[in-house]
Amino acid sequence: MLEVKGLVAGYAGSEVLHGIDLEVNEGEGVIVLGPNGHGKSTLLRAVTGLLSPRAGQVLLDGKDITRWRPDAIAAAGLVHIPQGDLLFPEMTVTENLLMGAYHGPTWSERSARLGRVYELFPWLKERGGQLARTLSGGERRMLALGRGLMSKAKLLLIDEPSLGLAPLTTQQIYASIHKVKESGLSLLIADENANHVAGLADRVYLLETGSLVRQGPADELLRDKALLESYLG
Amino acid sequence: MSTQFVQAVWGGILFGSVYGLMALGLTLVWGAVRLLNLAHGAIFVVGSYVAFFVVSKLNLPILVALPIGVLAAAAFAYLMHLIFIRPVIGKPGFDNSTLIATVGISIAVSAAAILIFNPEYKVIPPIISGNFTLSDVQITKQGLLVIGTSLALFALVYLFLTYTRRGMAIRAVSQQQEAASLMAIPVVRTYGMVIAISGALAGLAGVLLSPFFFLNPNSGFNPMIQALIVTIFGGLGSVRGALVAGFVLGIFESFVEVYYGVAWAQPGVFLLIILMLIVRPNGLFGIGEVRRL
Repeated sequence: MLEVKGLVAGYAGSEVLHGIDLEVNEGEGVIVLGPNGHGKSTLLRAVTGLLSPRAGQVLLDGKDITRWRPDAIAAAGLVHIPQGDLLFPEMTVTENLLMGAYHGPTWSERSARLGRVYELFPWLKERGGQLARTLSGGERRMLALGRGLMSKAKLLLIDEPSLGLAPLTTQQIYASIHKVKESGLSLLIADENANHVAGLADRVYLLETGSLVRQGPADELLRDKALLESYLG
Repeated sequence: MSTQFVQAVWGGILFGSVYGLMALGLTLVWGAVRLLNLAHGAIFVVGSYVAFFVVSKLNLPILVALPIGVLAAAAFAYLMHLIFIRPVIGKPGFDNSTLIATVGISIAVSAAAILIFNPEYKVIPPIISGNFTLSDVQITKQGLLVIGTSLALFALVYLFLTYTRRGMAIRAVSQQQEAASLMAIPVVRTYGMVIAISGALAGLAGVLLSPFFFLNPNSGFNPMIQALIVTIFGGLGSVRGALVAGFVLGIFESFVEVYYGVAWAQPGVFLLIILMLIVRPNGLFGIGEVRRL
């Protein structure tokens, strides 16, 4: 479904990604594992158009979307839940969720999706009227996830789902991502902790200093403790 | 009630709603686009002259000229967005280049008005003529219309921003642009829409106010400066701030004018603003960069 070919990207003066080849198939959970600062976020940003790639191609269902604007890429079904959550701080929890379903659906379809997200995170319903800026870190992350799920995503790209969260909240977040995976949605998750993503991953890529150094089925790669140790530290 | 008091209250409410109406457009554009639109007065003038043209050259009634003037102002603002604003969105130097471009547009519009019409004062008829007296103060029906329109538009804009999909998208874009684009909200098109709405508000103000102040190539300048002051007083980017500040400053100015003379009105307003900004540097309802629509 998603194909990335020879992707080169970076910021003014420095190249971060040196030619990435990666793919995600229908219904698959793909994890990009790598230590901090090795280009995981840059990869997701380049795929969803927040950063324009210097070279290479991004294909969605065979269609070249490399130069598309972020809003067009999101409308096509690649939905990116970025690092830092990026909520709308002066909007309520419900309003944030509704904005996740901005593109496409009618109001009745929107409220149906709202119902599904509330099922996954009952907590969001209780706090519906609260302003997003008053939420705690874990609550923000759940809202960001819920907002992403409001869209008609084909593929959800999640950047470090547990970054900065307490252990208990981290567990809750991964448990809910699990439910999302079971519903059949494809996932591309960037993470630095192999234990967190073990149950979510079908395939794993290892990212080091801007290049994918290893890839393989999750059961194989994630079981190789020596490799992961040497690599993630 | 004394005549003076009624005069001050009436003038204050009238000034206040005029200031608010102009400030509403400015504050929307600042809140959503982070654009200080110094062509807001020029857009006011475009709307007024188009309405004047429709009334005096095409001999159509003012009720026909009003919507045409408003649409022309919105179209002019949108064109300004397409040519001068859109190309520099997200580029370094956005603030400086748009500031200079909007001042340039203002100069060009007043020059064009002189060339096409002439520098003489023009009259646009009121929508409703007639007046009545209250404690010896003349209350014009057009004045009441301006007050009602201004309040109604504040309510409309508030409802639009709060309850409609596109209105919510404007707030989303103003609060977290990157997240908005990840939610498939077309950011640049939303900017264009806000600028056009703001243009329509300026054009409406132009057509409704010209019966009071007469129309000339620079008649948008003073309302824009007043609106700028109101916007800063209320907090840049705050709709509620524009409404409250418009009436606070309008009523204050009117009372100073009636009781201490016209000469004190402007200095009085500036003194009030300076004192307020010492206490609240971001304006009544502004909380710095964080506060958006």
